[in-house]
Amino acid sequence: MHLHKYEKWWLIFGVGTLIAFLLILAYGAFYLGTHPQSHGVTIDPENIGAEETFKPENLGLTKLDEGKYVLNVVASAFNYDLGTDEEGKPVKHIQIPKGSTVLIQAVTPDVIHGFNIAGTNANMMVEPGFISSMEVTLNKPGEYTLLCNEYCGSGHHMMFATVEVTE
Amino acid sequence: MKKKTLPKSSSQEPNLKGTIISVSIIGLIIVASWFGVFGLFLSR
Ligand SMILES: [Cu+2]
Repeated sequence: MHLHKYEKWWLIFGVGTLIAFLLILAYGAFYLGTHPQSHGVTIDPENIGAEETFKPENLGLTKLDEGKYVLNVVASAFNYDLGTDEEGKPVKHIQIPKGSTVLIQAVTPDVIHGFNIAGTNANMMVEPGFISSMEVTLNKPGEYTLLCNEYCGSGHHMMFATVEVTE
Repeated sequence: MKKKTLPKSSSQEPNLKGTIISVSIIGLIIVASWFGVFGLFLSR
């Protein structure tokens, strides 16, 4: 088969990028341990409260140590359950000091939801039956919107809260 | 010999200069945007 010189160049470039991306993928997956946020950890979606982490009193932001936080969330159509404040009102605004690492753990009892703190790397799918978790460090102060980026039904746009990274 | 039976036109090299330039421009845009997104991921 005869190939034009330029076609050969382009094929080498195309196959080369394919190999490069496969190597990057393998490096991320096998060396850095990057994988989907569900990590294969399962939970019964019908009985989320049975898991200690997602009991109503354990939802929301909890300070573990200086600069170390855990954020437990139950995402459901069409709400993020971030626990309640002292007056018993649902929390829709959380504050985290800048530079803190936050372990986010999220579950859903109904359909697939998204968990995205817009403008940060905190972005994951929340699937029924799995515990999605990831650790992020929030370095830039400001107010961010936590929102659902997986269309989950007619009230999808009402699923949000705010996350404030304080100085 | 089989080669002699091929039609004449196939032995002529088409001019693909414009093709390689245009696909290279698209390729570079894709590569640049990949590094742009990767930089965004690292900086956040
Ligand atoms: Cu949703």
